Amino acid sequence: MAVFLMTVVVMYGLSSCHDPEEPEPYEPTPYYIDIPYGFPTELNIPEDNPMTVEGIALGRALFYDGRLNGRTHPDSLMSCYSCHRQENSFEIGAPRPHPFGVTGHSTHHAMLPMINLVWNPGHFGWNGSVSSIEEDVLGVISDPAEFDSSPEKVVNTIKNISGYPEMFQKAFGTPDVTVDRIAKAIAQFVRTLISSDTRFDRYMRGEEQLTPEELRGFVLFTTEEGADCFHCHGGYGNPLFTTNGFYNNGKDSVFTDPYDRFSVTGNEMDKGAYKATTLRNIEFTGPYMHDGRFETLDDVIEFYSHDLVNSPYIDPLMHHIADGGIQLTPQEKSDLMAFIKTLRDETFIGNPDFGPPEKLPGNNPE
Amino acid sequence: MSNSFIASRYFGNLTILFVATGLLFFSSCKKPEDTPEEKTGKIVFHFTQYNEGAPQRYDTMKYVNAAGNHYLVSEIQYFVSDVKLHRADGGAQLLDQWEDIHYVDTDLEDTQEWKVYDPVEAGDYDKITFTFGICEEKNQSLMFLNPPERDMFWPEYLGGGYHYMKLNGKWLSSDGMVKPFNFHLGIGQIYAGGVIDPDSITGFVQNYFEVELPASSFGINAGETKEFEVRMNVENWFQHPHVYDHDVWGGDIMQKQDAMKLGCENGKEDVFSFGEWKGDN
Ligand code: HEC
Ligand code: HEC
Repeated sequence: MAVFLMTVVVMYGLSSCHDPEEPEPYEPTPYYIDIPYGFPTELNIPEDNPMTVEGIALGRALFYDGRLNGRTHPDSLMSCYSCHRQENSFEIGAPRPHPFGVTGHSTHHAMLPMINLVWNPGHFGWNGSVSSIEEDVLGVISDPAEFDSSPEKVVNTIKNISGYPEMFQKAFGTPDVTVDRIAKAIAQFVRTLISSDTRFDRYMRGEEQLTPEELRGFVLFTTEEGADCFHCHGGYGNPLFTTNGFYNNGKDSVFTDPYDRFSVTGNEMDKGAYKATTLRNIEFTGPYMHDGRFETLDDVIEFYSHDLVNSPYIDPLMHHIADGGIQLTPQEKSDLMAFIKTLRDETFIGNPDFGPPEKLPGNNPE
Repeated sequence: MSNSFIASRYFGNLTILFVATGLLFFSSCKKPEDTPEEKTGKIVFHFTQYNEGAPQRYDTMKYVNAAGNHYLVSEIQYFVSDVKLHRADGGAQLLDQWEDIHYVDTDLEDTQEWKVYDPVEAGDYDKITFTFGICEEKNQSLMFLNPPERDMFWPEYLGGGYHYMKLNGKWLSSDGMVKPFNFHLGIGQIYAGGVIDPDSITGFVQNYFEVELPASSFGINAGETKEFEVRMNVENWFQHPHVYDHDVWGGDIMQKQDAMKLGCENGKEDVFSFGEWKGDN
């Protein structure tokens, strides 16, 4: 009741003060996320950046607008989509494990997808050093391996494209273009990128049955005596297929990457630890691991099966290290693969709302 | 002047109004007669982990268990549920008004203190008991959708629900290699012919157990808040009444009912102790 009252008063205040020369009243439409079956009910949406239909529309345009890096020459256009491509679950896809920014510098690590990030508890990136999507956007703008630009350049470019100030007006109440608002709008769009329509989701909801091979793979995935992937990558009780936790999964015995989890926490035991990525749409996001060392999913299964490397930093959940790996037979490998492929989400890859808008602002289409 | 500025001004004034009204309500509510709160106290539990009489140290191979295994502990995560306060007159109060299953995680400080919501009737109590893990009726899959509790899920094929505990560490095995152990307790399985294959499961075993906290009698006055320590003595998981040898049971036990049975019997015996909370040390 109180909230309703406040809303009425505020709306009254807004309409009564509407000045004829101001473009439009600020009445953004709230955007609600339906929690898919079995998914966490707690969403990570910052209090100062509520999701609105107008904010998302603006964020989507910016995400797909090559001028977002503050350059307008056709050869130097770059935006998020340059690396995060929907058809690859928002990764760049093989054959370039480390994407290159505008100026040809390559990123430290291989790509991460953008999938169900509204459930990331606030440690983004392979090492969790970034605390929000908003912060990530600001990082991308100045990173030499990404936009290699500056907030001023970006703001200047965007505010001079006709159409954008109106979109900012609708999303944030005034036409001012600020880097903070750019980051907020893009973050709103990224939070809409939800995958919840894999074969496994439909199996969980009781809408579809898995094949015997897929079910055998599921058993392997979720049993300790099998392949024991679930402690880090989820399963029926955690359909995100990631804990969003950080682990050393036994790839090396010497650790030289200055950007591992240890570089963030300073805890010795985090040496060589990275985020256990979601396995949703993993088919589309090779090459694999933070350094892109494995070309194919077969390589990854082979690694977990026979090629684990022990070190004092290996996570205790990697108990199969005692045998050098999970020691799957060829049949089991193919069952496990069949299960992993039930995590493919074609709806996500094909959702037109996640793709580029029909038209970008200004008369300079990209 | 921008519209959003106006909006925030309205919000500002309204907030003040609401707060003022609220204060008015609160002050006018204070009546001199007996309210239930005045006959009750509050309880806070602090969950701690000790090993060999001192606070548990993590990731250091400084411990030797009863079987002679040198070992380290990385983290412990567990559920305590259905806490009961047994009154001297024979009755008991179940703490379940807001939270009946409490999660403790050695990496998450806020889980280590449980400010119980339930008002506790003033008087004398003989003892406190709780369920280690979660009872069969309550241990249902998908009841915790959010982390950290969510990440305790126990696979459907192995009985579903949630792990009672994950105690992860490493030990120096008899072949000289440092190996991880995952001392995970939860619902056990019975395998036809003893072959560990999910296809041959013929039944499940509910391994949760009731713990009676030793020397846990206490008295509580109206309006008083009592703070208690519930201490896990980690080495006792591996020694009384059964000597638990990592070289025998290996790194994983979720599918080894015999190992989980030993663990649970040890857990019931003397893993937990109790006392007044004396602050962090
Ligand atoms: C030059 C290629 C490139 C561009 C352009 C780029 N990214 Fe990324 N992005 C990456 C790489 C590589 C990673 C993984 C980085 C790491 O953790 O080391 C990443 C990671 C992320 C993550 C973390 C995902 C997770 O699961 O933690 C987010 C969020 C993100 N990018 C958002 C954006 C946004 C928004 C834009 C546009 C403003 C953008 N990126 C532009 C390459 C790029
Ligand atoms: C101890 C936790 C842990 C376990 C158990 C585990 N993983 Fe991983 N997994 C990780 C981590 C951490 C990474 C990322 C490591 C890196 O990038 O260096 C990863 C990466 C992956 C990747 C590549 C992801 C990407 O985006 O590049 C795949 C595929 C994968 N794991 C599959 C599996 C399978 C299948 C199993 C079971 C056989 C398994 N994992 C068991 C922690 C784990």
